[in-house]
Amino acid sequence: MAAPPPPAHWSHFEQEQARDVRALVQQVTGLGEEEPGGRFQAALSFTSSNFRFHRFLDVSSHKVERTVEGIYEKLIIHSELGKAVSWKRLTEKFLNLPLPNTEKTKTDAHYAILSLLLCLSDSPSNTNYVEKPREKEVEKEEEFNWGKYLMEGEEIYFGPDMNSPDWSEDSEEEEDTQPLSREDSGIQVDRTPQEEQDQNKKMVPNVTWKVGEPDARSWLEQHVAPQYWTGRAPRFSHSLHLHSNLAAVWEQHLYSSDPLYMPEERTLVTETHVIRETLWLLSGVKKLFIFQLNEGKVTVRNDIIVTHLTHNCLRSVLEQIAAYGQVVFRLQKFIDEVMGHSSENLTHGALSTPKKATGAPFRTYQAFMWSLYKYFISFKEELTEIEKSIINKDKTITLSIVIDKLLPRLAQLKVLHKVFSTGVAEVPPDTPNVLRASHLLNTLYKAILEYDSVGEASEQTVSLLFSLWVETVRPYLQTVDEWIVHGNLFDPAKEFIIQRNKNVPVNHRDFWYATYTLYSVSEKTENEEKMSDNASASSGSDQAPSSRQHTMVSFLKPVLKQIIMAGKSMQLLKNLQCKDGSPQQTASRDAERKSLYTLFLESVQSRLRHGEESVSDIITEQQATKQSLIKMQSIAERHLELDVVHDPLLAINFARLYLEQSDFHEKFTGGDVCVDRSSESVTCQTFELTLRSCLYPHIDKQYLECCGNLMQTLKKDYRLVEYLQAMRNFFLLEAGDTMYDFYTSIFDKIREKETWQNVSFLNVQLQEAVGQRYPEDSSRLSISFESVDTAKKKLPVHTLDGLTLSYKVPWPVDIVISLECQKIYNQVFLLLLQIKWAKYSLDVLRFDELVSAAEKPQLKEGPLLQQERVPQFGPHTELIKQQIHRMFLLRVKLMHFVNSLHNYIMTRILHSTGLEFQHQVEEAKDLDQLIKIHYRYLSTIHDRCLLREKVSFVKEAIMKVLNLVLMFTERWQAGLGAWKMESIEKMESDFKNCHMFLVTVLNKAVCRGSFPHLESLAVSLMAGMEQS
Amino acid sequence: MASNAANLNAVRETMDVLFEISRILNTGLDMETLSICVRLCEQGINPEALSSVIKELRKATEALKLFRIQLWLRPLWA
Repeated sequence: MAAPPPPAHWSHFEQEQARDVRALVQQVTGLGEEEPGGRFQAALSFTSSNFRFHRFLDVSSHKVERTVEGIYEKLIIHSELGKAVSWKRLTEKFLNLPLPNTEKTKTDAHYAILSLLLCLSDSPSNTNYVEKPREKEVEKEEEFNWGKYLMEGEEIYFGPDMNSPDWSEDSEEEEDTQPLSREDSGIQVDRTPQEEQDQNKKMVPNVTWKVGEPDARSWLEQHVAPQYWTGRAPRFSHSLHLHSNLAAVWEQHLYSSDPLYMPEERTLVTETHVIRETLWLLSGVKKLFIFQLNEGKVTVRNDIIVTHLTHNCLRSVLEQIAAYGQVVFRLQKFIDEVMGHSSENLTHGALSTPKKATGAPFRTYQAFMWSLYKYFISFKEELTEIEKSIINKDKTITLSIVIDKLLPRLAQLKVLHKVFSTGVAEVPPDTPNVLRASHLLNTLYKAILEYDSVGEASEQTVSLLFSLWVETVRPYLQTVDEWIVHGNLFDPAKEFIIQRNKNVPVNHRDFWYATYTLYSVSEKTENEEKMSDNASASSGSDQAPSSRQHTMVSFLKPVLKQIIMAGKSMQLLKNLQCKDGSPQQTASRDAERKSLYTLFLESVQSRLRHGEESVSDIITEQQATKQSLIKMQSIAERHLELDVVHDPLLAINFARLYLEQSDFHEKFTGGDVCVDRSSESVTCQTFELTLRSCLYPHIDKQYLECCGNLMQTLKKDYRLVEYLQAMRNFFLLEAGDTMYDFYTSIFDKIREKETWQNVSFLNVQLQEAVGQRYPEDSSRLSISFESVDTAKKKLPVHTLDGLTLSYKVPWPVDIVISLECQKIYNQVFLLLLQIKWAKYSLDVLRFDELVSAAEKPQLKEGPLLQQERVPQFGPHTELIKQQIHRMFLLRVKLMHFVNSLHNYIMTRILHSTGLEFQHQVEEAKDLDQLIKIHYRYLSTIHDRCLLREKVSFVKEAIMKVLNLVLMFTERWQAGLGAWKMESIEKMESDFKNCHMFLVTVLNKAVCRGSFPHLESLAVSLMAGMEQS
Repeated sequence: MASNAANLNAVRETMDVLFEISRILNTGLDMETLSICVRLCEQGINPEALSSVIKELRKATEALKLFRIQLWLRPLWA
């Protein structure tokens, strides 16, 4: 600057002062000397005049010291201790230091300078101040300021921010002075020398702030938690210890050992960040920094690092967690999907189908989801607990501690995921709901059994799975309950293994057989491949055969029959009762009733309590003698409720087992609620037994109840027994007199060679016969005649073929007495008619007929003399007499045969089998059993009447004899003239052959013992043989 | 020379200390202005007068700045 030279008369002192004043004006105003408008000059003259002519007193050292003391106190009061200490120390030091042009200390100049600064001061308590450490003073000052020293070291490593102000205090200190605006140069310039100093000290020069940026920014940096997720490397303090800088040390090592190593830019996070993100991940948060979610896969961010672990180490730990995070995510997604929360992933695999199908909720999945949801709630609670303790900072929590704490949970997650992926995720997309539901239940069931067999090692797992299973099975049991209690198979999503065929009405004959479809059986083959594919893909264990086994819901297998029976019976029963039943009564009863599921849960609980009691028994009896063992045996037996297995040895062993387990009692404590873990674990040890004792009895009970009701209703209100009796009466000719009237009229017609095949004639005869004694049955009975093939017709015994009796059985009894049954009845009926006919034909033969017929050709005079004359005709009459005698003998033999046969069938077979049948009908538990009994009865009589294909040769022989009988009677009636000796002999030999054959065959059969009932027939036929 | 260097160091320390004091008091002075002020005070300038001058000059500068801004903005208002 071209300053005008000072006047020559000025002393050196004055010149210097003038120069300083110029410099001051320049410095403070920022004006140059060439400033237009003479501003600079004006300022200069203003300054000079003010310096010369002022009314201020000289500086008083006392006053200044007082003020200095006052400011110290003020700072103390404002609790700015650091500032106060610095203040005191600095002022004292200043007073004892020389000034540039003053060698002495504590001069007026010192006080003047202090006074100047005090006058210029602008609310000192209102500013942030950190004492600027000075290099030279370091050694002197470190004795009282360790923290600062350490911080200084910090700065050398991690940037220069430590010199930013540390204090915040809002109170106004000096109200009289206005705070200067930020644009004021004062603050700006005050940093510039610092910056220079920083550089002098070789600090890391990565300053991100420009000089002059407001202090507030740096204050915020200090006081607000850094956003580690923004990716900008935050600077935070940590120890200099080697262990906490492992990452840096390792990095350094790599850098020095590998010339090609390129250090990567990484985001520094703390372990707390990692722990919290881990917790968040496991509680299902999707948007995280460290863990990233890409298309359903959880991955670990690659560029994060903590100071005390190497990158690889951190990564390997986090990757494990990420795997669990993925499990959580997967299950969470399933929950969301079933809840219908998510709209995005309809395209995603197998799970979309149940929703799009019909809209009917797929209750098994819902229940499974609900159980998972409950599990996750407790899991999240645990996670939140951990997070709370992290926030509280009252305990040391490291990542490994957290993982250790969560270890059981993580194991459970693993199991859950395994079950989930086998049971739900791997099911092919368009599997029907039935298979999905049963597959899921089976997977759970199987998993329980699998883990159960491991024993105590997996108690936790088993109890978890058990609770899942109990929840998941709820819809199924509800369906079962609804069905077997109300007869209503409510299954909108078609998930139950049994489904109603809509097109069959209840009041139809086929209802019992055709209404329901048992799914798993029919669709098994089709899905076998898929299932085995799954199995091989998933684990490669022995799933393939077991999945085949378990295609049907396996836990229901033992009671499936009962369920089906009870369900069908109930539906039928409801249908029967709705005509006369009182709905109010049933409704009130229903309100009191507990559902099957509730009963099941209660039984599980009571089973545990039961166990508790029995154990206490056992413990007290432990010291007792042998007797106690016997007692316990019974307790154990009761405890196990082994309906099927009556094995005393097993029971004793169980009793021993309980004896050995001295801590058994402890295990049972607290087993009041079903979902209680400890109690479940014990239950699950005998999982199948649990089912057997807790679920099946209820189903069985309901089964017995409703089937019993049905049987009662059928027998009482629908007169089932009466109808069965009617069948026997008419088809099996038990109503002897009635049927005698009917068939003799037909036989007479045939005998007289009149036409009898007329349907109206037959029906009239039938009605006449039946109407007298069984008026109510007469309307139901009818008879028809179909002409059968003529080839058979030639034989007289087959004349009757084609006669069909039919009885109109009303619903619902026609479920038992079906048309098929009537066919069998008809076969027996026909056989009986044939025998009756033969018997009747023989019975009605009269001896005089034969004799008179013999005389006819010789003596036409009159029948009166024939008796005496016959002997007169010498050898011819002898021959005739012989013939007649042989005829008599043959007739008697035939009669013996037919009567034996008749007796055998009517008494030995039909009557005794009928008695057995009646007895069984009384005891039948359900309709199916009744039907079966009826069928068995029919097949027995069919069998024993030798109508079976296998013994057709016997029947053939009998038919031959019957045929012989009919021919014989025909000839008999035709008279002796038509007879030739040869034909009699032929008949005799035919009969003899047949008789012989039958006796041999029957004897053989009897000797083998395979047909005990034939014995009487064989014996009676044999008796006939001996005589001949 | 050695004493000269020692003196220089002492003076530098004095200035450092003074600057710290100035910072504590939030005077708004930079190092250069401070050293000018020190010299002036040593020359016997009354410190109160000096401080009032500095305050006045600051005020004036502020006003001038404002004036210049107005001057600059005037065409925009017109």
